[in-house]
Parts: sequence; structure tokens; C-alpha cells
Amino acid sequence: MLLFLSPWLVGFSVFFGYPIVMAVYLSLNHYDLLSPPRWVGLANYRYLFTLDPQVGTAVKNTLWLVAVLVPAQVLFALGIALMLARARSGVGVFRTIFYLPALAPPVAATLGFVYILNPATGPVNALLGHLGISGPLWFQDPVWAKPSLVILGLWGVGNTMVIFLAAVLDVPRHLYESAAIDGANWWQRLRWVTLPSISPVILFAVVLGVIQALQYFTQAYVAANIASGQASQAADVTAASLGYPQDSTLFYPVLLYQHGFSDYQMGYASALSVVLLVVSFVVTLVIVVNSRRWVHQAGAVR
Amino acid sequence: MSAVPVTAPIVRRRLPASVRRKRFLLAVANHSFLIAAAIAFIAPFIFITLTALMTNEQALSARFWPHPFAWHNFVDVFRTAPLGRWTFNTLEYSVLGTLGLLLSSIPVAYALARLRFRGRNVMFMIVLVALMLPPQVSVVPLYVMWAKLHLVGTLWPVIIPNWFGDAFSIFLLRQFFLTIPEEYLDAARVDGLGELRVLSTVVVRLAKPAIAAVALFSFLYTFNDFFLPLLYTGENPHHWPLQIGLSQFRSLHQVQWNLTMAATLLVMAPVIVIFFLAQKAFVEGVTLTGVKG
Amino acid sequence: MKRVVIAAALAVAVGLAIATAAVGARHAGPTKLTVWVGWSAGKELVTFKQVAAEYDKAHSDVTLTVVGGITDQKITAAIRAGNPPDVVSSFNSYDVGIYCGTGAWLNLKPFMDKSHISTSIFPKATMYYTQYNGTRCALPLLADTYGLYYNSALFKKAHITHPPRTISELTADAKKLTQRNPDGSLKVVGLDPLIGFYENVPERWAQAYGAKYIDSKGHAILGKQAAWQKMMKWQKSLVDWYGYKNLVKFQAGLGDEFSTSNGFETGKLAMNMDGEWRVAFLANEVPKLQYGTAPLPVDDAQPDLYGSGYINGTIIGLPKGGHNVDKAWALVNYLTTNVHALSVLTNGLKNVPSTTASAKSKEIVPNAHFQTFIKIFNNPRSSTSPIMASGQSFTNLVQTFWQNYQAKGSKNLGADLTKLDSQLDAQVKQAGGGNGGGGVP
Repeated sequence: MLLFLSPWLVGFSVFFGYPIVMAVYLSLNHYDLLSPPRWVGLANYRYLFTLDPQVGTAVKNTLWLVAVLVPAQVLFALGIALMLARARSGVGVFRTIFYLPALAPPVAATLGFVYILNPATGPVNALLGHLGISGPLWFQDPVWAKPSLVILGLWGVGNTMVIFLAAVLDVPRHLYESAAIDGANWWQRLRWVTLPSISPVILFAVVLGVIQALQYFTQAYVAANIASGQASQAADVTAASLGYPQDSTLFYPVLLYQHGFSDYQMGYASALSVVLLVVSFVVTLVIVVNSRRWVHQAGAVR
Repeated sequence: MSAVPVTAPIVRRRLPASVRRKRFLLAVANHSFLIAAAIAFIAPFIFITLTALMTNEQALSARFWPHPFAWHNFVDVFRTAPLGRWTFNTLEYSVLGTLGLLLSSIPVAYALARLRFRGRNVMFMIVLVALMLPPQVSVVPLYVMWAKLHLVGTLWPVIIPNWFGDAFSIFLLRQFFLTIPEEYLDAARVDGLGELRVLSTVVVRLAKPAIAAVALFSFLYTFNDFFLPLLYTGENPHHWPLQIGLSQFRSLHQVQWNLTMAATLLVMAPVIVIFFLAQKAFVEGVTLTGVKG
Repeated sequence: MKRVVIAAALAVAVGLAIATAAVGARHAGPTKLTVWVGWSAGKELVTFKQVAAEYDKAHSDVTLTVVGGITDQKITAAIRAGNPPDVVSSFNSYDVGIYCGTGAWLNLKPFMDKSHISTSIFPKATMYYTQYNGTRCALPLLADTYGLYYNSALFKKAHITHPPRTISELTADAKKLTQRNPDGSLKVVGLDPLIGFYENVPERWAQAYGAKYIDSKGHAILGKQAAWQKMMKWQKSLVDWYGYKNLVKFQAGLGDEFSTSNGFETGKLAMNMDGEWRVAFLANEVPKLQYGTAPLPVDDAQPDLYGSGYINGTIIGLPKGGHNVDKAWALVNYLTTNVHALSVLTNGLKNVPSTTASAKSKEIVPNAHFQTFIKIFNNPRSSTSPIMASGQSFTNLVQTFWQNYQAKGSKNLGADLTKLDSQLDAQVKQAGGGNGGGGVP
């Protein structure tokens, strides 16, 4: 039986336990992978919390994602699922259409959106122009860059939407019928029957969303790279494209990548990763401990 | 008032016209929203396709419709970038990774679901915790380790961890294994089969849909993976998988948007094709993740 | 049946693994040298490969493989991962502080001594940016300098008779040359002042204002010089004249810098600050375009700066961990000192020759536009960026600061610059301390 668990036990120690212990060790050193680690004590942490000009921005951006992207995706997916549940015809076709973008590889989807939202040559601003609206600069504007990423994120809610749809369709009919007898209108039915019944699934989606927000990297990296025009960087001198424009897309994992794999300050990057570990752990702990309070137990209505 | 016999047919009253009309209007509004949303969801695909068929100058202007249709863009893409090489690398990662993942995750999930041992629940909690922590947490020391092993620049650092089980797949499979009635397993055990044989003959056959879903998800995940391959093969174009190559596409010979969009479409296509071929497995797998408990 | 499937799958997996391993197997025979260079656009890589092919033919004991499109990030990644090529080359010197300071690129002094190469055969400016704290780990492989390109036809239409020499002339000309569409968006831009656009980076404009980055001890002094504030305020005023959003939108619609849709080549930019290599691109891609070249206009208060320019250049060296160091050095020696090789590269790339001997070579095809840049390179007041231990992060931080400023402005630019200085110093300290060895030439 130990044999059954052995692959995972080995994997866990090598790819999970060991790195975390090692990361703490490396975070107390200056290490650039060329010379042996040099002990610096808490210097990395001191730089992290007081001197790094970009850490504050990176933390704020990541928190923005948790506060804006996650609820937006959950609410949007829920809204579409509810509408689909009500629809009588064409549900299969609609479901496929809404699910398909979730399959698109993140790199491809981001590339597509950077082009579509190009303020000068993209179709979206061209369309808005025809309607007489002067479109924003999307990925070129620090105020609009994160909302553009949110729009990209909303395009890909197919996964969550399908789960919500299944859960909504699973709500026992008799609950609706007794609510109807009690004279409840659609909003009351939604608030007191549907939502409580699917609350475990909503919690699941929120947890998943928060976890993804804390590791958000690919879309930010690709969007910043392409939008800054540094994609043709082979001959280009400046590599200041991460976080383009003006650090508005500089999320914590992106900053970690920059310090660890662009500047090769592995000691400092380890310090950043230790902080991320602590924060993620606390966040998941908070959610798990409170899940009982937020989730309505199946069976008890109202 | 006379009592209505229980067996009498239930008479459905016709609802008043106002209620019927209101419900009809609501249904129309609902449908309209859905149609509008569907158009919004499809629009990006259409824009990308149209741009992929434009000439370079048209892609740089605010035109909607290509004129003429540059079908040869799709051929030019192959001439500009080594898509074949990239595809081979992606397949290497996906196939080797998925196989290893299945071989290692199934026994672990089974042990967590069915075998009784002390600390089983603790272990499951640890699996869940491992699922929730960002990969960036462990990435620096692991990179150092792979660098010392001289494997940075290849895809092995992303393939090999899959051979030791994957928390998400273990979770999914465990959920499914829990639903297998104990009787089937007991029947096999009574027949004298050891646990390994029970697993490989009875359980796997029963769990085919779940395993197919896990394999599909794993393939999809490895196909779309970007961060770890970027880290390990970013500086070695020979080993770039499709996603890395696509992200660097524009820096190859300063290629323009039209070819980039064509390449984007080509990279999106396999996943969408696989979806249509294996729809059932997809939907089942997705709902499996939402299974309560 | 199941066993057969599993066995087959395992066999496929093992087979794939073996196949990929075999592909990487080494062959015996002449030593294979891999050379990494940054060139990739237009005819540039072709030109370098031509030189490499000549060396290959002349030396039967080595075969060269040239890989183009290399960036500093790729170089550092390969060295740290332990699988570097034999020869590496970078387009700029920003990371020399890291390369030489950490030993990522080998110290070349022993090699130069053995081959009797003295630093006196190279121009003085190039010697500064190829060493750090006295350790020389790179040699220059052609140099770059920057000036002003202007569209002669557009100049004639706007009745401008000579290229601007001062910043105020530049501003006036830029405004005269700008054309707008009926809806207010920009059609032709006289000069795109946005930092981060094409070759617009702080250090090149700083050269025109005589603004320095560090003092002799290596501390950042942007807040202590009036030049930085004057320069940034001028740039912001020009940005505001165009409208920041208008410029961003205009830029987003331009083609890539090194493509045939380059903004200057397609006539959408009347003037552009660019490097000397653009002469080659223009000749190859739009030979009919009428244009002129001149040094970059300078601060009105410092007219004697006119004629100078920012200097940097491609550098080449030997990475730590390469396998065939002696043969690799022989190649580097050839590429950096052989007059014929340098002449071919100069003619093909239109980059500035990096030895005094090759600069006088008869093989170089004379070209009036290119002469402008040779003169700029030889001007005694031309200078380059400081070499810092924090490498590219140093210049990137300044650039990000300026990009924030050009978009949002600032209530107290002096105070902000002083804060930037302390951030730069902290960054250098975090990276390991030190500077290029006493100020910038």
C-alpha cells in the first residue's frame, strides 16, 4: 500500500517539501547561480519590505485581481448559467459557444485580444469609432490595462459557467414549487432557493479564482510583452517591458519572475516566494475555515 | 365541496393572458441576452480569423474585411516559424507527461479513496493544500536543482514532475473512486486478487470515463502550459513548445500582425478540434470537478 | 488487452525519450563552435553569417554554427544553466557590470596578452564599456552611435532648409512637420518624443543635455543636476503639445521598428532618432526614400555639445562554462581585430568599425550618410552609459520613471528625482555594489 502512495510521496518531498525548505534558506542568501550562495541574513527581506520600488505596486495589482477579477468572473459565469438554465431552446449550442473560448490557450487568447484591442488598428476601437465613441487605449493605458485583462478573463469563464449550469439544473424542483406556493417572485426564488443550494459550487469557484489570481502570470507577461512593442526585441535595447504600461500589469508572480529569472537574484526571488507562500497559505486557511459559515448545508432550506 | 378522488386527472388551468404574455416577454428577453452574449463570445474568433487573412498593410489599418483574402498566410506561417518543431516539442511534453501522470496518480488516488490506513485524511488534506499553493512558491530552488543537473534548456524539468502524481488529478480520481461500490472490490478481493490487480483490472475498467477526463485535462493543461516551459526552455528555441514559440512569434524576422493572428488560429485549432471529438469526456470531467464532497 | 496497451504506451514513451536523447548526441570530427549573436533583422544576420562562413572555410579544424536573435536574457540564462555556447555577443553594454563582475564572461586579459593584443588598437570609448572594475570580459565588435534622420521631401514641403541643431529648433521643426487627420488624430508626426518608442531611451537624450547618471563614486545624481529636469520638462511639453493619448494611439498603429513598415521608412515620421545601422536598412528596403542624417540637436545652453552623440555597441566575449575556450578565443580574436572581417561587417551592417585600423580600411565603401555617424563617433564629447552592478535594471528604473512622468507629470520633479537616486543606489547595493570604475568618459 505504501507502494501505491510512493510516487506521490517521493514527488511531494522532492517537488514540494524540499523546495519550500530550500526557498527559506536561499532567501537568507545572495545567490546568482554563478558563485556559491553568500549569507546576507535578513537583507533581502529588508529590501523587499522597505526599499524595492516595485513591490508595493505588485502587491496592489495582485490584490486588485482578487478583488475585481474573481468576483467579475464568478458573477458573469453565474449570470450566464442562470440565463441558460431558463432557456428552452438551443441550450446545447449556447453552451458550446460559451465554453469554447475557455479552451483557447491563454497565450493565443492574449495575443488575439492585444490585437483586437489595439487602439489604432483594432476592430473594437474601429467599431466604437463608427458609433461615435472614442475608444480607450486598452492595453496601452495604465488605467485600462487591468480592465482589459478582466475582459480577457471574462471571455474564458466557460469552465466555471458549465459547473454553475450543472449545479443550477440540479436544484430539486420541489424547492421551487414550494417557494412558488408561498408566493415568491423570481428574485426571491433566486435569493432563497437557488443561491443557497448552489453555494458550495460558488465557494469552489471563488476559491479556484483566488488561487489563480495569486499565480496570475501568463496573460500579464504576454500582454505586456506584445503591447509594449518590445516583441521585436532581438535588436532592441530596452527590456523594460514587464508590467507595461507603467507597471500597471506588474503582478506579484511577474515581479518574482523578473527578479529571479531576468536579474538572476535568486536569493531575493526566494524571499519574494516565501512571502507569497505565507500569504497564499493564510488566504486558503481563511477560506477553508470560514467555508462552513458561508456554505449552506444541503437539505436545510431557508 | 366534493372531495376530488386521488386518481382523477389533474386539470391544468390556463394562466391568464397577462401572465402568459409576461412570461413570453421574459423568455424573449432572456434569449436576446443570450444571443447578444453569444455574439460577443464569438466575435474575437471572427476578428482573429479575418485578420489572419489580411495582408500586412491591411492588418495595420482599421479595416474589418480583408480584400483580397490572403489564404497563403497560413502557408507563410510555416515558412516563417518552425511550427513542426514546436509541435513535436509540445507533443513530447504532453504525451510523456500525461502517461506518467496517469500511471502515478491512479494508484495514489485509489489508496486515498479506498484503502484504510492511518493518516489517510491528513494526507488528503495535504494533497488539497498542495493544490492551492502557487507554483512560484517552489520555482526558484527547483530551477537551481535542475540547473545543477544540466537539464535547464530541455523540457525534462516540466515533464518529470508529472511522473510523481499530480494533486488535481489525484483529487478528481479520488472523488470518482469513492463512488465505486465496495461490493465490486470485495468480490475481486474474495477471488484472491491482490490490491494491485484489483486496481488494474476492476477499478480502472470501471473508472474509464474519469480516467479519460483526467487524461484529456492533462493533455489540455500541458498543451496550454506557459510559465514552466518559459522558465526552462525560454533561452533554447530548439526546445520551444507551441505556446512559447507563439509568444515569441513576432520577434522572428519582425513578423507582422496578420501572420501572428494566423499562427494564433493554428495554435488554437487542435484543442477545439479535440473538444468536438471528445465532448462527452470534457463535460463529464468538468462536472466531476464540481461534485460536492 | 489492457496490459498490451500499457506496455505499448510505455514502449512509446521510452522510445520517444531515447529518440530525443539521441538527437542531442555529439559527433566526432572538427570542433563545433556555437556563436550567439543578436542580429536577426533584414540582411544583418546574413552579413554576419557570411563572415563566419569565410572563417569556417579558412579553418578546417572548426565548424561554426551561428544563432541569431539572442538577447541578454538568453545569454545569462544559458550561462547560469550551465549550457552556454562557445562565443556570446550582446547588442549593448548594459549588463557588462554583471558579466564581468560575476565572472559570467571570462576575463580576457590573459588571452589578449597571449595573442599580443593591446587595448590601444580600440577606440577609447569602447574600452570603457567592455570592462567593469578593472576586469575586462568583453571586446567591442563594431560600435553604434545615434543621430537624427530626417525625411528630405517632408522638409522641403515644410520649407525647412537645414536640420535642427538645438532643442528649440528641433521642437519648432517637429511642430511644423506634424500633420493631423480631420478627426484630430495624428497622421504624420514630426518627432515622436515618447520615451520607450523605437530607440527613444533616456540615455540618448541625456547625451544631448550633458546629463550624467553617476558621480565618481558611483552614486546616482539625477536629482542633483538641473540638466535632467530641464530635459524632462522639455520632453513633457512636447508630449503635451501632441497630446499623450494621441501619441500612444499613433504609435500603436506603426509597424515594428525593424520591419519594412518602420514608421520612418513609411513616411509617417518626419524625423527620428536612430542608430547608424538604419542607413543599411534604408538602402535595402526603401532605396527611393530621400532622407538626410545629422547629429542629434542639443541643449540650447550647451551648443558645443553639437556633433557628439551616444555611443554603445555590440560586445563579444567567452562565456563561463564553454568547452572549447582556446578555439573560441581564436574566433573572437579574428572577429574583433581582423581588418577584412570588420570591413565586411561595416559595409553590410553599416555599424561603426571598432578598431582604428579597420576604420581606415580601403575596403569600406564610402557613404555620405554613414560618414555623419563616423564623425559623431569620433567626437571627443560623445559618451556612453555607466556600467553598473545592477545591469539593465539600472537603466530600466530610470526609463520607467520617465515613462510615468511623461504620462502623469509631477508636482515636484526635483524631489522625485532625488527619490529615484536613492532607489537606484539601493538597487545597486542589493545587486552587489560598485560601478564601472570611476565615472563615465
